[in-house]
Amino acid sequence: MKRHASAIFFFVTPFGVLFALFYLIPIFYAVWQSLYTVKRTGTFGPATDVFGGFVQYREVFTNGPFWESIERVFLFGIVQVPVMLGLALFLALLLDSGLVKGKGFFRLAFFLPYAVPGVVAAIMWGYLYSPNLSPFTAVTASADLLSPSFVLWAMANVVTWVYIGYNMLIIYSALLAVPTEIYEAAKIDGAGVFRTAWSIKIPMVLPAIVLTTVFSIIGTLQLLAEPQVFRSFSSAVSSTYTPNLTVLSTSAVPNFHLAAAFSVVLALATFILSFAFLKFTQRKGVQ
Amino acid sequence: MRFRARSIAILLLSTLSITACSSGGDDDAATTTGTASCAPSSGPVTLTYTTWIPNIEKVVDVWNKANPDIQVKVQTGPNGNGGTYANFFNQLKAGNAPDLGHIEYDALPSFRVQDGLTDLGSCDIVAQSQSKFIDWTWNQVSFGEQGHVYGIPQDAGPMALFYRKDLFEKNNIPVPTTWDEYAAAAEKVKAAGGYITNFSQSDINQFAGLAWQAGAHWFGNDGTNWTVSMTDDATKKVADYWQGLIDKKLVSSVPPWTPEWDNAYNSSSAWTWVSAVWGANSIASGAPKTSGKWAVAPMPQWTAGDKVAGNWGGSSTAVFKTSKHPYEAAKFALWLNTSTEALTLLNKEANLYPATKEGASLPALKEGVDFYGGQKIYDVFAEASTEVKADFTWGPTMTQTYADASDGFKKAVTGQGTLTQALTDAQSKTISTLKSQSIPVKE
Amino acid sequence: MAAFKLPKYGAMLVMAVFTLYFLTPLWWLFVASGKKDGQVTEGSPLLPDHFSLGENLSQLFRYNDGIFLRWMANSIAYTVGAALLGTLLAGMCGYALAKYVFRGRELIFNIVLGGVLVPATALALPLFLMFSKVELANTFWAVFLPSLVNPFGVYLGRIYAAASVPDELLEAARIDGSGEVRTFFTLSTRLMAPAFVTIFLFHFVAVWNNFMLPLIMLGNERLFPVTLGLYSWNTQVNQHPELRALVLVGAFVSIVPMVIAFLSLQRFWRSGLGAGSIK
Repeated sequence: MKRHASAIFFFVTPFGVLFALFYLIPIFYAVWQSLYTVKRTGTFGPATDVFGGFVQYREVFTNGPFWESIERVFLFGIVQVPVMLGLALFLALLLDSGLVKGKGFFRLAFFLPYAVPGVVAAIMWGYLYSPNLSPFTAVTASADLLSPSFVLWAMANVVTWVYIGYNMLIIYSALLAVPTEIYEAAKIDGAGVFRTAWSIKIPMVLPAIVLTTVFSIIGTLQLLAEPQVFRSFSSAVSSTYTPNLTVLSTSAVPNFHLAAAFSVVLALATFILSFAFLKFTQRKGVQ
Repeated sequence: MRFRARSIAILLLSTLSITACSSGGDDDAATTTGTASCAPSSGPVTLTYTTWIPNIEKVVDVWNKANPDIQVKVQTGPNGNGGTYANFFNQLKAGNAPDLGHIEYDALPSFRVQDGLTDLGSCDIVAQSQSKFIDWTWNQVSFGEQGHVYGIPQDAGPMALFYRKDLFEKNNIPVPTTWDEYAAAAEKVKAAGGYITNFSQSDINQFAGLAWQAGAHWFGNDGTNWTVSMTDDATKKVADYWQGLIDKKLVSSVPPWTPEWDNAYNSSSAWTWVSAVWGANSIASGAPKTSGKWAVAPMPQWTAGDKVAGNWGGSSTAVFKTSKHPYEAAKFALWLNTSTEALTLLNKEANLYPATKEGASLPALKEGVDFYGGQKIYDVFAEASTEVKADFTWGPTMTQTYADASDGFKKAVTGQGTLTQALTDAQSKTISTLKSQSIPVKE
Repeated sequence: MAAFKLPKYGAMLVMAVFTLYFLTPLWWLFVASGKKDGQVTEGSPLLPDHFSLGENLSQLFRYNDGIFLRWMANSIAYTVGAALLGTLLAGMCGYALAKYVFRGRELIFNIVLGGVLVPATALALPLFLMFSKVELANTFWAVFLPSLVNPFGVYLGRIYAAASVPDELLEAARIDGSGEVRTFFTLSTRLMAPAFVTIFLFHFVAVWNNFMLPLIMLGNERLFPVTLGLYSWNTQVNQHPELRALVLVGAFVSIVPMVIAFLSLQRFWRSGLGAGSIK
């Protein structure tokens, strides 16, 4: 297809240039920064950047709170992602089952939270969780949702609230794309609603579920807005609660080099997890 | 489209040199001498000033009208730790910091350590103004070094005791003048179904103010080394005292500055607040239902009969290293923070309490305040302002120190660990942060 | 037939419960932003009493010479512009990756997808230094230009182009003598329309929600998008508590344009959202 070289160039270049400028160069810059360290003399002496090799990475790997935050989001992800996607799948199947009237309304109602920016959603739920302010005093009186034992799951609820509808729609659209002849055949075989859902619909939309899972994993590792806002509502959210918060608070010190090293490690961890999940599902023969 | 293409091309070219330049910048900074010359520029200049004071435009407009040759362009954003400090650091690295910036006292050392501030010590107009400022505020900006000034003091946060006059009287509780009496009052308040106060677990500044009053010295520096002593005897005394109140459940611990926290005051659940002068406004807008029922008394003392106050907050107007017009910048900063017209406006629009000696006699600060039952509360603060100890120094990585101490405090109020433990942890983390920044520190 | 009723009622009940879950918080926000002077604890939390939304709105719109309306306008400018142009660029790139075989195709695709993995906090400082170099930091372009890039859009564009633009059709267009670029704009874009709407919607939401990039890039309050403006007010409530009421009303107003966009684009995203999953 050499003859289309100029067309390909035309299509790919605009995006490619912008991507190189605003993603690749900053990434290389961050990696380069992470290999440096500062030297200074005296209590107020000016700092100079000197090459430090893997000095910052040694710091990263011995930094307890950072790894605790990784563990924390890992726990968060293991619970929140399946719950959210399970509910999204369940709701999508219900919408598609023919049992529900007013599909248009529900689809919109469930999707609406996605319109709320993360910062705003967190502020709103922060109020709803606060024991003396919440309209749901019955819940907040029996369990302090902002205490250390609950706050992670309180945040999980915010994320779930925002993203269920979005994930549901992706899965639902995949269901709509399933050719109707398959259902006809199942009906003739005498399969009920649940059989059809379990053995035909779910396998057909597995690729959509895999996709939403990967994005949820990425989203979980990059949690930032919710915990940052919750810091002002709950005494249980520390400045290193999630890995991304750690990056932010480190760069505010300012320790640019260590912050860069944190983000490089975080990006690598995200890559490894998403890639491992994809490989795992592929081996299972999903795709 | 053409503009976009060109700017992208420029971006591409420039990024090729970005790495070389940004490290080179640091070297340049190292070779310039510490004290900038403070000569007036020839011709008209335009200064940029970044702050987060609400309605600052109104104040700057007054200056701009009177000074056509020194025009000030003001920019506002989130508060310091909310992002503006991080932006300052980034801008210093990129070389496009504004001429003037709003920096709280506790952040000044960070900026000085990053070599971001112009030493205004050689500016005559600045040196001559020293006597106008309350002594301890001048110490905050000069780091106690003669002939050096790294910012012009702007406002102060002398502390006093806000208390519910009506409830104290109704329950026959005397207004505490010492911390022992305060603890005794706490028991009585609890018996009456309230909390004596809400312990600020995530805003460490209040605790710092309490420790400051008790004579703590968290940081020191002798020119070659920093010292960190967040667990000195004075601090321990304060920590143990509050730990006692927490353990006996005599204080609530709602996160400060939340609607929930406002509600604790609005619903009469918390009866006192040891806070700074600007706190007067916080209660008034957060707890409107309690209007007329509050009063202000001097801070409780560790030794009966003493007169010592703490300080919570306060900021300065600093001139960044990159400014080409330090003289004009200093001139503006002095006007902003010493002239009666500016101080009056700052107080009216943004509730700032002046750092100058004369500032305490602004007409607005001599009036009775309805919310406090008509009491002339600012008289209490004016006196407190002169009772703040001058020798308290902040460290060069306070953002991190606060974050770590507050992480520990949050645990302590939920029953895991103690305040002293939290301070010990914060101290060792501060030391390791200093080291990772290769800032010399003596352990 | 009676046996069929039970699942039907059950299903409707489940839908009703979830509708409450999704809409109650938004309703609360509406009621709370109408409370007089931001006193959310006054009166009933879920009923509009002490209701003075109009007064609160006019206070919000007047504060600091109407800065809030300026923020809303900025947000719309950043978002609509970046999403429109960004969708076209991502769509073109995805289309090329789907419809042409060339060396480095998979490499480009994988690198672009890798872009999704990088945390925004890591990109912010380097971007700021770059824009400072060309003196574009603290300008409209500092937020607008990086917002054009949407790696996820390339992924969607590729998958949807592969599924909805048949090779035979392109071949036929070639035989008719239509150039590749012309074919794309006259024929393929029409086939890919639902995908474009989907990419646009995702892109729109991402840019609208973004506050990290503007936070670092912008010092001038008059350039802020509404998310950053609200955030910035929210950081000042400790010394200026009167801002809290404005934050709440502002939060409510800030989601209104998104809701309108969702409602009016409904027809498109309904059919287009499955794009990502068709393999």
